[in-house]
Amino acid sequence: MLREKRAQDIEKVLAKYPPERRRSAVMPLLYIAQEEYGYCTPEAIREVAEIIGCDPTEVKSIVGFYTMFYEQPVGKYVIDVCDDLPCALRGADRFVSHCEKKLGIRVGETTPDGKFTLNTVMCIAACDRAPVLQINKQYRYALDEQTFDRMIDELP
Amino acid sequence: MAELVNVTIDGVTVAVPKGTLVVDAAKKIGNHIPVFCYHPKLKPVGMCRMCLVDIGTPKIDPATKQVVRDENGNPVIQFMPKLTTACTTPVSEGMVVRTATEQVRAAREDILEFLLTSHPLDCPICDKGGECPLQNLTLAHGPGVSRFDYDAKFHNEKHVPLGELIFLDRERCIQCSRCIRFQDEIADDHVLQFHDRGRGMEIITFSDPPFDSYFGGNTTDICPVGALTTADFRFKARPWELQSAQSICTHCAVGCNITLNTRLETRHGGFEIKRVMPRQNEWVNEIWICDKGRYVHHFTRSEDRLHLPLIRREGRLVESTWQQALQLVADTLRAADGEIVLMVGDRIPNEDAYLLGQLGRAIGARVSVSPNVPSHYADVARAFGVGKDADFKRLGRGDLVLAVNADVEEQAPVWFLRLRQAVVDRGAQLIIAHHRSTKLHRYASAIHRFEVGRAPEWVQQQAETLAQALQAARHALIVFGDEHLDGPRARALAQLLANLLLQSGHAGRSDSGLLPLYPHANTQGVCDVLSPHTALPPAARVVWAVGVGDPQELPPAGFYIIQEVLHTALVEQADVVLPSLTFAEREGTFTSGDRRVQRFYRALPAPGEAKPDWWIAQEVARRLGFEWRYNSPAEIFEALAKDVPAYAELSYAALSRVVEQWPPIGREDLYYGGTAYDNTGGIGARYAAEAETRALPPYDVTIPEPTIAGLKRGPRMLYRDGELIRRSALLRARMVSLQQVA
Repeated sequence: MLREKRAQDIEKVLAKYPPERRRSAVMPLLYIAQEEYGYCTPEAIREVAEIIGCDPTEVKSIVGFYTMFYEQPVGKYVIDVCDDLPCALRGADRFVSHCEKKLGIRVGETTPDGKFTLNTVMCIAACDRAPVLQINKQYRYALDEQTFDRMIDELP
Repeated sequence: MAELVNVTIDGVTVAVPKGTLVVDAAKKIGNHIPVFCYHPKLKPVGMCRMCLVDIGTPKIDPATKQVVRDENGNPVIQFMPKLTTACTTPVSEGMVVRTATEQVRAAREDILEFLLTSHPLDCPICDKGGECPLQNLTLAHGPGVSRFDYDAKFHNEKHVPLGELIFLDRERCIQCSRCIRFQDEIADDHVLQFHDRGRGMEIITFSDPPFDSYFGGNTTDICPVGALTTADFRFKARPWELQSAQSICTHCAVGCNITLNTRLETRHGGFEIKRVMPRQNEWVNEIWICDKGRYVHHFTRSEDRLHLPLIRREGRLVESTWQQALQLVADTLRAADGEIVLMVGDRIPNEDAYLLGQLGRAIGARVSVSPNVPSHYADVARAFGVGKDADFKRLGRGDLVLAVNADVEEQAPVWFLRLRQAVVDRGAQLIIAHHRSTKLHRYASAIHRFEVGRAPEWVQQQAETLAQALQAARHALIVFGDEHLDGPRARALAQLLANLLLQSGHAGRSDSGLLPLYPHANTQGVCDVLSPHTALPPAARVVWAVGVGDPQELPPAGFYIIQEVLHTALVEQADVVLPSLTFAEREGTFTSGDRRVQRFYRALPAPGEAKPDWWIAQEVARRLGFEWRYNSPAEIFEALAKDVPAYAELSYAALSRVVEQWPPIGREDLYYGGTAYDNTGGIGARYAAEAETRALPPYDVTIPEPTIAGLKRGPRMLYRDGELIRRSALLRARMVSLQQVA
């Protein structure tokens, strides 16, 4: 139960909102849930709904809308490669194909050892140093095949 | 009166209240701007873009802040650079709207082409086909041919159960969010939402249980495509095969106006109800009905229906003719020497109850209602009920709703919707007193608790405080129920509440008064026209029970006449069984819990030789020497209105009156308000409360001691666990054995 495991963090979040506006705490609470379980599990969604006093359907809808909330288990490292227009002009398409080959998975999949998940994302505001990706939300800029391979090989 | 502003739409100038949306203003002058996501009962969202129009406003000189005029003195109109959604734009003074331009025509065609890119076009197997806004608007405004290859269409899941009653077809959905907004804004059950975005966006439920709402069926009416269908009606009939008859729902005392859609079925040798749809009555149910009203209609063609009179011979009930059965009933009544109990249920229409009462009195019978009909406070409601012209729509800021011992959503679901809107949307104050929580508690500004069954004592103790709260309010509506109260104590509660109205000066005022939560469609009416005795004699020679329904204890008697529609357990006790008709097979009137008398019409032929209750009463009367010659309920109502003072001002003609209602529903406007039916059968009429016509003294109330029987009267829920909607002798037997095992 999230409420037992992360009682203090949850209290800290809830303290930021007036009691009758508890619903506003939904996103920070979902982040706590995702930190704890790696993704927003159905049980965690129901628990968050209970904490903030709304219907689980409403919480599920928020998880579904925002791409940074995961509804399925993801790897230890989540790699989000931008393939929006400026990155594409700098070869993001080819770069993504290389990522797939290197990791042995398709976009949207997780490696069998549970280490890597590969996604493509819309613009992450670093077009000046394309192609660009985020690995667990940390930026890596101006990538090519060699730098990507080195990054993957060096990760514990 | 709201401030009016002038707006010109395609050259027609109209004055509408400030704040009116362009789409509604246009509708009022017959300019039908097409919409999908907009619904006049829901807040606008501007999601579908179907209502794009060209909107201009008078040009204002920034320096002088004056309207700029051309050489002829006319205001210069400045049009917006792009088309604007008519459903989200409120009118303003001097606004000019153009809907007939080439730009608008092209935009409509484009939006429809866009919506149809991923629509499966499976109209031939779609339940909505024939009454589908998407189909109709495509025909009116859409492209004639598709530029898309059918095989290239985006395909999606087709039969997704959102709950036990509603199915979703994800391919047909155009993401208008009407269903989501209905559940959020009207029903307040937040069980539907969007998930994902862009092309992946879809309707989901993640609730447990999933789509569980007393009002879920309404989403299928307002769905502008065939995405939402009911488990009960899907694949059962095409809309154009259906006949319709205007009727009144019988499952609670709200008196929702409904339309019964029927179709010829060989299997029953005649018509059967295929679906129940809401019928617009803005004073009663607007365009909504609850799910019980929508789905509980199969009993009309149940295998347990009684088709022929039955007479007990050598211990067994055997079929007989009406002639034999009526003669036996008449002979038995004549020989009973007045030791007769005539008991009438509260689903019996006014005309029939009136005639039965007349006959009962003429033969010296004790005329009463069935023991589970709360008849003890009907006279209090008649005296202090809501005013003749009361309208829930007017309740708002400054008004008070007091709910005592009342679970409104369970006992009168559509009243729940309307009271909720008065409180949440229009700012009425809500005070609740109950021994447990109800859904209405969510909106209360003050919540009081009393011990189970102690409502009358609580009101008596709090009388001063409550009277003050009532006094401060512009109008006061008091809704009350009889949970855990026996008849005399429920009567005491009603009287105490009536006294509060008197004390606070609200008695006899239009939008104030009592609102009792009766169990069925005609509880008030039966009590009005029958003036029943509230006490039953310990025993009688003959008991004649008419439509008393569920098995229950009857006074011991030597002879039982059971007049029923279904083969109930009670029928097994009978010496004579007289088969009667349901509301669907005849016409008549019901009086709702707020005393609105409404007509219902015949939708189905009679099963077998079953007859209406008034016909049976008249035939028995004639065999007892009375010269009665009524040909129809209309004639009986005329006699009733002459005899029952409260009904004096009513007539069938007055009840059949129809008026223009907003929003326009049905007819050419399926796309606008949904597939609910327009009202051609009459909006009914409420008779005046006695307090409106003369000054009444307060009641002298002594609260009787609670009884075990009263305390055991649990809450009357809309759905009872284990209650069968389709009657089946076999299933019932098995359920009993299951319960025994448990």
